[in-house]
Amino acid sequence: MKKRRIIAYIILTLSIVFLAVLSVMLGTASPDDPSFFIIIKSIRLPRMLAALILGGALAVSGYLLQVFFGNPIAGPFVLGISSGAKLVTALALILLLDRGIHLSAIGLVLASFTGAGIATVTILMISRRTRRMSVLVLAGVMLGYICSSLTDFVITFADDHNIVNLHNWSMGSFSGMNMQGVMMAAALVVTGVFGGVLLIKPIGAYLTGEEYARSVGVDIRVFRFRLILVSSLLSATVTAFAGPISFVGVAVPHLMRRLFRTSLPGCMIPACFLGGAAFCLFSDLIARLAFAPTELSISAVTAIFGAPVVIMVLMGRGQHYE
Amino acid sequence: MSDTAGFINMEQVSVGYGSSTVVSDMSFRVRRGEIVALIGENGSGKSTLLKSITKEIPLLGGSIRIDGRDISRLSAHDIARIMAIVMTGAVRTDYFTCYDTVASGRYPYTGRLGKLREEDRQKIDEAMRLTGTVELADRYITDISDGQRQLVMLARAIAQEPMLLILDEPTNFLDIRHKMLFANTVKELALSKNVTVLMSIHELELVRDMADRVIALKDGKIDSDGPVKDILTDEYVKQLFRLGIYPR
Repeated sequence: MKKRRIIAYIILTLSIVFLAVLSVMLGTASPDDPSFFIIIKSIRLPRMLAALILGGALAVSGYLLQVFFGNPIAGPFVLGISSGAKLVTALALILLLDRGIHLSAIGLVLASFTGAGIATVTILMISRRTRRMSVLVLAGVMLGYICSSLTDFVITFADDHNIVNLHNWSMGSFSGMNMQGVMMAAALVVTGVFGGVLLIKPIGAYLTGEEYARSVGVDIRVFRFRLILVSSLLSATVTAFAGPISFVGVAVPHLMRRLFRTSLPGCMIPACFLGGAAFCLFSDLIARLAFAPTELSISAVTAIFGAPVVIMVLMGRGQHYE
Repeated sequence: MSDTAGFINMEQVSVGYGSSTVVSDMSFRVRRGEIVALIGENGSGKSTLLKSITKEIPLLGGSIRIDGRDISRLSAHDIARIMAIVMTGAVRTDYFTCYDTVASGRYPYTGRLGKLREEDRQKIDEAMRLTGTVELADRYITDISDGQRQLVMLARAIAQEPMLLILDEPTNFLDIRHKMLFANTVKELALSKNVTVLMSIHELELVRDMADRVIALKDGKIDSDGPVKDILTDEYVKQLFRLGIYPR
């Protein structure tokens, strides 16, 4: 078992290195191009780092949500949390831009965090009324639709010059990141993942069920609050910088559980981070290169690979949770 | 033990949900190492009483002292070092081994990140040996039978090194072999480690086999309390469970 995990970590790490090199090297600009190194330094490298850091964050956020709801198909996108973050961020951007105020990166994250928080509280209220996994997920998908529709509505009425960037962002994309943004995202993600690591012990107990966790001394209310706080911070950071990205938060934790053959948080948190990074690097490569120079939205690619995993979980073990 | 009156002292305890009282004005004492079975119809207050001892629901009145300490003043961490529980509910986490499950019982003793030390591993191994679950260590908790699972949950509780073991209908849905295995392990635990056992249970045969004493509850009050052979007479069981009287 231990050997399997070490090998899995090595494979994931090597995949990330390989995909990161491909991300930086591949594209329409060739090394003969005089601006090649500038393109690498100011466009491809920040974009690759964003996919790596934010992809990892998204998968860890999804894993924490799955622990919270005791539900293997919970995730920030599926539960409408990413779309909630998107809506409030879009609102803040447009309202402030109309007044000539440019929203800073921290402002973006705060707006996104507020949106994620509102959506999370909504989904928590729904979860109190139903224990059925499929109902909760359907409610989350509907919440996501409502938030996305409202976002589209808001964007439609925004000034022309705001629309182009907002439209790309609201579809989900790692493009347009600069090194300053990457550094900011990295700081927030490191904080979030560190918060997740501090929850390793109670998560291990919580996986046996709420009552058993309480019986070994876990303060359930405090624990659940911290869990949702860390998860929201991570998914809000991703949405603030890259927009909503679908299915990574659901699919990657499931794939990692299968790869590592464990649910233990001490193994799963680093595994999800590496898995999410590899998944997003791979998806971003396809988004960039499949129909170059036309770019696909990152969510279009992650959905193609991620949604079947959700169906697989629902058809398989998911039935145990009904 | 600082209180010679009993290991568990329940004094005029009332418990309920919101404004409705389920258990009212209940007092009893339990010795260290004693196995006490709570019996009674569904809704008679057995589980509610146990939940008040584990502090899952707060008392509406009265006090509970365990080993001389008022539990209302104890932290969750202190409580976890005193008592462990086994219930009916199943662990539903995928890819979670029986060893991981038993290891979760060491929570009150491990450090910040929950890393197991050699001493923790010894306690886990001992608990799994005692319950005959060593061979299940690497199996997933979702892939074993109900009977095996309850033995693993008992091992988890033993790994917690409790002075008091709370069992809430732990043998529901088990086949006869696993019921007996479970009962024998609990008896051995009470005898060898002087663990007090307080359990809510429906199977009266098991109560006869493993309990020292029975407390029968009816409508949230103690209906009778005494040694098993004195309480579990055919006549009293018929009366307590209203057998032969079926509402139309």
